[in-house]
Amino acid sequence: MTPPIDTPADWVEAAPRRPIEPTGGGQAVASRRVRAFVDHTATATIAAGGLATIFAILGIFVYLFVEVAPLFYSSSMASIVAAPVRTHSGAGEQAPQSIVTGVDEYLEVAYVVATNGITFWRLPSGDPLGVEVAALVDHGRVTAVARAGGKGHRFGLANDTGSVVPVGIEFQSLFTDGLRTIQPEVVVGRPFRAVQQGDRITRLAYGVRDEGPVTVAVTERGRLWLTKAQEAGGLFAFKEKADIIQTGLKPAPKAPVTALLLDSLGETVLIASQAGRMYYWDIQEAESPRLMGTYQATREGDFVTALSYLIGDRSLIVGTSAGEVSAWMLMLDPDRGSDPRLEKVREFARHEGAVTVISPSQRDKGFLTADATGQIFVHYLTSGQTLVEVHASTAPIEGLMFSPKANGAVAVDGQGRLSAYTIENEHPEATLKTLFRPVLYEGYDEEQYIWQSSSGSDEFEPKFGMWPLIFGTLKGTLYAMLLATPLALLGAIYTAMFMSPTLRAVVKPAVEIMAALPTVVLGFLAGLWFAPLLEEIFPGVAAAFWVVPAAIVVTCVAWQGLPPWFHRQSGSLLELAVFMSVIAGSVYLCLAMSHRIEDWMFGGDYKQFLQSVFGTAYDQRNALVIAFAMGIAVIPTIFSISEDSISNVPRHLIAGSLAMGATLWQTLWRLVLVSASPGLFSALMIGLGRAVGETMIVLMATGNTPIMEMNLFNGFRTLSANIAVEMPEAPHGGTLYRLLFLSGLILFIFTSIVNTIAEVVRQRLRQRYSQF
Amino acid sequence: MRNSVKKFWSSGTLFIWLCGAGVAASLLLVGGLLLLIMINGLGYFWPHDLVELTLRDGTRVIGELTGRETIPHSKTAGNVHGKTRISLKVGNRDLYGLDFRWVDEDTIVSRATPRDTVALERREWGNFYGRVKEVRRAGQAIATGGEEAWKALLAVVDQANETHATIRSIEKGAIGDINYEIEQARLEMRELKMEGDATSAEIDRLEAEIEGLRARYQRHVTALESLYDTLHEHSVLLVDANGREKELAAGQIIRALRPNAMGVFSKTLEYAANVWTVLSDEPREANTEGGIFPAIFGTVMMVLIMSVAVVPFGVLAAFYLREYAKQGLLVKVVRIAVNNLAGVPSIVFGVFGLGFFVYALGGTIDALFYPEAFPNPTFGTGGLLWASLTLALMTVPVVIVATEEGLSAVPREYREGAVALGATKFESMFKVILPCAMPGILTGLILAVSRATGEVAPLMLTGVVKLAPALPLDDHFPFLHLDRKFMHLGFHIYDVGFQSPNVEAAKPMVYVTTLILVAVVILLNLSAIALRNHMRKKYRGSAV
Repeated sequence: MTPPIDTPADWVEAAPRRPIEPTGGGQAVASRRVRAFVDHTATATIAAGGLATIFAILGIFVYLFVEVAPLFYSSSMASIVAAPVRTHSGAGEQAPQSIVTGVDEYLEVAYVVATNGITFWRLPSGDPLGVEVAALVDHGRVTAVARAGGKGHRFGLANDTGSVVPVGIEFQSLFTDGLRTIQPEVVVGRPFRAVQQGDRITRLAYGVRDEGPVTVAVTERGRLWLTKAQEAGGLFAFKEKADIIQTGLKPAPKAPVTALLLDSLGETVLIASQAGRMYYWDIQEAESPRLMGTYQATREGDFVTALSYLIGDRSLIVGTSAGEVSAWMLMLDPDRGSDPRLEKVREFARHEGAVTVISPSQRDKGFLTADATGQIFVHYLTSGQTLVEVHASTAPIEGLMFSPKANGAVAVDGQGRLSAYTIENEHPEATLKTLFRPVLYEGYDEEQYIWQSSSGSDEFEPKFGMWPLIFGTLKGTLYAMLLATPLALLGAIYTAMFMSPTLRAVVKPAVEIMAALPTVVLGFLAGLWFAPLLEEIFPGVAAAFWVVPAAIVVTCVAWQGLPPWFHRQSGSLLELAVFMSVIAGSVYLCLAMSHRIEDWMFGGDYKQFLQSVFGTAYDQRNALVIAFAMGIAVIPTIFSISEDSISNVPRHLIAGSLAMGATLWQTLWRLVLVSASPGLFSALMIGLGRAVGETMIVLMATGNTPIMEMNLFNGFRTLSANIAVEMPEAPHGGTLYRLLFLSGLILFIFTSIVNTIAEVVRQRLRQRYSQF
Repeated sequence: MRNSVKKFWSSGTLFIWLCGAGVAASLLLVGGLLLLIMINGLGYFWPHDLVELTLRDGTRVIGELTGRETIPHSKTAGNVHGKTRISLKVGNRDLYGLDFRWVDEDTIVSRATPRDTVALERREWGNFYGRVKEVRRAGQAIATGGEEAWKALLAVVDQANETHATIRSIEKGAIGDINYEIEQARLEMRELKMEGDATSAEIDRLEAEIEGLRARYQRHVTALESLYDTLHEHSVLLVDANGREKELAAGQIIRALRPNAMGVFSKTLEYAANVWTVLSDEPREANTEGGIFPAIFGTVMMVLIMSVAVVPFGVLAAFYLREYAKQGLLVKVVRIAVNNLAGVPSIVFGVFGLGFFVYALGGTIDALFYPEAFPNPTFGTGGLLWASLTLALMTVPVVIVATEEGLSAVPREYREGAVALGATKFESMFKVILPCAMPGILTGLILAVSRATGEVAPLMLTGVVKLAPALPLDDHFPFLHLDRKFMHLGFHIYDVGFQSPNVEAAKPMVYVTTLILVAVVILLNLSAIALRNHMRKKYRGSAV
């Protein structure tokens, strides 16, 4: 590197501002004025333009940060309205499960389904909408209301005759003059008998399948009835009575049932009893329900008061009378056959009173819980965090629903007050913990680092572990540097110290040309030409790593044995030709003998050998391919900078050292390399920075599998390739979009640090060695 | 002996040899890479001979020889070298399903290169290899048998190609214009309606205009239909190696060759024609065949727009940093930051470009100026302008650094002399320093262009597409369409090499694109190096 040339700016600054002119007439003065004006304008323009450019480039960092920041904003919940609603047909006794509430996806119309009918409320004004269906009650006094799981608004209303009335609410968007109004519509299905004659339903679980409704009902006499429609008969009606299968679930728990939960396919039911136990039934075959397991869900004396699946039915949220909220997951146990096992995996912030309702989000793994003291919490499964705590009421919350777009909630308390909220919760799935710590995801049996950002369905739990990507980035960089560093440094030393100037004038640009090779070209050759080739000749390549250095050593010794006159004759061009032919020859030999080497060293099949000795499979697009391809991309950078710094070591130092009797080797090792070390260091750093951010090569020549294995023979996915792969599909402003910005920010910061260190070290060490 | 070993060791000769090996290996890598690209890329254009193999089971194969290898795991005690097989490009994808075929060499009875075998380049289904049996017109044979049919075929193909050219000029020219005008009228109508002050007369006028355009469109379509019919008038009856017949409409054939009957001279002519086709033609078959003209054009346009943006700002910033700003800690820090930015991965700029240019800036522009096109984005999606600006941002540090270097090489005496003669600072900058620093600025520009030409990652996020419907430059006002998506050589390599369904058949095309891209980049770099050397020589003497 050339030392900084003393810039003349300060000096020119001191020069006279005004143009010097021979004194003369008015014309000269005017011209002088014009020139001065031009000069001032130019100064201002250059300063403005220069500063603007500099700010613009520095602004990139700020902008990246601005895009990433919302990931870590805390969530909030704001009340829209609170309105009194009448929820009971009269005073008197109140059933334990009597209110369901909900809201449309635009947060414009809320509804309350209670024992006295359905009422609708306009949000955010809180005005009644005038649609009131009391007709439901015609079938008998409503004793319990249950919501079906999954999307949509579907309920079963149990009455005192032992029947269940299927009810659905649909929201229609009507457009008048470009303004949208939401019109609710109630659909009432044909009632069906859910328990045997003469008994009364006290608690109900309701589900809707394609074939028709499923119910599990608890009666006054403490019996449990399963009712299931078996064939397609419409959403709200049974075609024939014969379609219904009704079975008692026996033995029913001795203690009273405190909570019931059907899954959305109607294949299992969970029954919680006052003894704190949960009974997990398989009801796939409605004629022969089967108890799959019994779990103690609470401590002694407490019991389960609310149950809910999260979207996808793989995680279960359990709320207890002590206010505890915990998440359980369905684990598949090979020992137990196909029966899933429930396991408690996470606990959330505890409520002060008994948990009364749980409402899952229909978009992600978030859910709401409410308790008997009137508090509502927002939780998120993956992160295990409780995001918001709101004191909504002084009375117990009885009805609660997370809005369909997970951006709001409605709740009804025991005093008959409806409250609606908006929830600001854009990126619940991204916390420092979920990004950088191992997480237990649905369907896995241990905590893991996983990157799997999207899938076709809403039920999918996004896995945003960044470590596999960071790991992949470092892995690719490491292998590329391992290959590039020795080649580039050794080459730079030779070019700077031992090569004739004419040859050097050709060799240096030739290597530097390599830096300009588009990486998409390297990626293409690596992925489509080299990777298949390497798979074929791997044994030869493995051998070449040993044979080539050995061949160099042997040739070197032999060369020393040649007569002295020959040495005097030979120039560096000849030497270079010898090196090249030795390398090319030995590489060719290795490759030509690849199959024979495979027979000798790897027992005839190297893949099998790798599998049996190292236990690794050989992927065609692997880290070794990247080491070569990215090595080629990095070599010229390292070569060029280190060559510069070596050739900048003052000639008189070298001459002095040689004159004092040091050998070339001693001079090189103790003087030149020491003086040039800052330059070499920064060369490595800049090479590292280039390897870290390289995109096209890794995109094309690795399998892009985000796995965390240091193995040379499998692929990986880097931060940069991940951006290229996933950015086109990431919705603007979504969590994935911002996480990809975070990936970019990480790359930006990392390369900036590396480059700054390189620059600073070089400057400081340059000062230190400049005194020699 | 031990002494000499020790002496040998301490002399460090071995280490020096290893150093030399490092250079040699690096050079071999560069040379090998370039050689590989050149062989594969240049070989694409050469009309290869067709071999006809007769196999032991009596069947025949016609194709181009593409490779030969030892069959893995074929070594037995009796055959230590193992068996070998050759790979052939047999074409005829519509008949065989695959373009390539392996043939074990020990099943081959005889090989020949018969002169009457033809290679047909088709518009669909890749090449056809076989023989011509008959040329028909409306189902009736007009020429039968080898030579006669061949001559008739050439005439028919020429005629069909002319018809295709006419069709294309109608489709791209007249119909393209009509479509454009209809779209403009539709948008204008929508804009009027949105503003709410549309008089019915105006709307009626626009509707009548659209109606008129539609009628014109219909007339062209009728003309086109009759042209398409003429393409099907003639057909060719072909037979493959085993006598399987295939009738092909003349319009399907682009070029017919008898490579085995061609001499070196006619092959060279054909070679030149192929090069021209690739450089000037539009792509076919999902980019795997035809030419790459739109990609070359897109790359050039993008680089030009980038240069227009990058040079003024880069030069201003460099002048400010070196000639105007007070040299101190702050400038030092800024300089380090600018240097750092040159090392920031390109994909990060792509992310920034997508977020800032496309979504933030583009979204705002759409909302303000193109509400009538909503919900179709105009600037709120990737396009030529945003891609160019992103790359400009990426390369501006290169220009700054190179310009600064150029400025620092201008001898101090020049400045002193200029000021001593009474020039203002601006005058000395503009008339003395700037011309001297010109080679530095040019070097920076060339390096920036060379980096931008080869860069793909940021473009993938900001507006490059695999197949652009229209070039960004045409004869509709405002002629240069900055909002259009464009094609790019580097992305072409990625897309064809990794996203196309038939990678093996697409490979030659990728090598050609690679060759062109590499040639452009290396030429740019060599000129930058030459400029730099020239600059150094010019000022070395005076900068005492």
